[in-house]
Amino acid sequence: MREKLLYLLGAAAILIVARNIYVISGLPGEESQGAIFKIIFFHVPLAITALTCGTVACVASVSFLVTKDFKYDALAVSVTEVGLAFLAGNLITGSIWARIIWGVWWAWDVRLTSALVCWMLYASYLMIRHAVEEPTQRARLAAVVSIFAFIDVPIVILSIRLFRTQHPGPVFFSSTGSFPHDWSMIMMWNLFAMFMLGAVFTVIRLRQEETQRELDSLRRMAHAF
Amino acid sequence: MHAFSPILLLAQAVSPEDITREMARLQRNYEFLSYGLIVAWLVLVVYVLMLVNRERRLKREIGRLKAMLEERQKK
Repeated sequence: MREKLLYLLGAAAILIVARNIYVISGLPGEESQGAIFKIIFFHVPLAITALTCGTVACVASVSFLVTKDFKYDALAVSVTEVGLAFLAGNLITGSIWARIIWGVWWAWDVRLTSALVCWMLYASYLMIRHAVEEPTQRARLAAVVSIFAFIDVPIVILSIRLFRTQHPGPVFFSSTGSFPHDWSMIMMWNLFAMFMLGAVFTVIRLRQEETQRELDSLRRMAHAF
Repeated sequence: MHAFSPILLLAQAVSPEDITREMARLQRNYEFLSYGLIVAWLVLVVYVLMLVNRERRLKREIGRLKAMLEERQKK
């Protein structure tokens, strides 16, 4: 039942995205950017999903440090890994847009740099988990790294408001935004689909984490014999 | 008559070729948009493949360990 629901959610998310790609392809191009501006419909939802994953990871890490319950550690690692994939998609789409509009693949701008640092911090979180063998020590150390990495999340979000950046200002959820209402709705549907995909990936990854724990206990039993 | 003159001027100035050219101008960079979308989805597809691969590896390992433990218990 749970398995079917999971696949159903994934299929629904893909259908929503496919329908949105069709709608977006019919939209007119932007005066100064041409069709490349349409990348924002994916670039922004990818970023919001990734940063939400970082927030959930931080909450799960704090919960682990308070309760010492390993289910929170499993949630933190699952959601971090999923967020990392979404953030990679965000950085790549942004880079392709920058190549056309700015003429360079990358600029050491506050928003771009803080997003890259965020990706590297969460990547180092996963690397640290691989480096520590003992489960309790690994979970505790990883939780601390996850909370530390989360400091960068508000910096990424607020960078375009607090600093003068090359990155364009917010066009959604902002009083200065210039997106028509129906375009914002397409973006919201894309965001909804990304959240659904993120949730499906997280549940699958969480199940794998449970299987990994079962495997670890079987290994211990095998060694005890 | 004076009020209609800009419309008349516009009708004379804008040809179907101009409209086609303007539409093409607005749709420029479409190629790069498709590259961006392909790469973004490719990242997620690669992640799904990694998940599937890990799932298979875990199941294989658990099966192997269970069989080994059963074998040892029989002895």
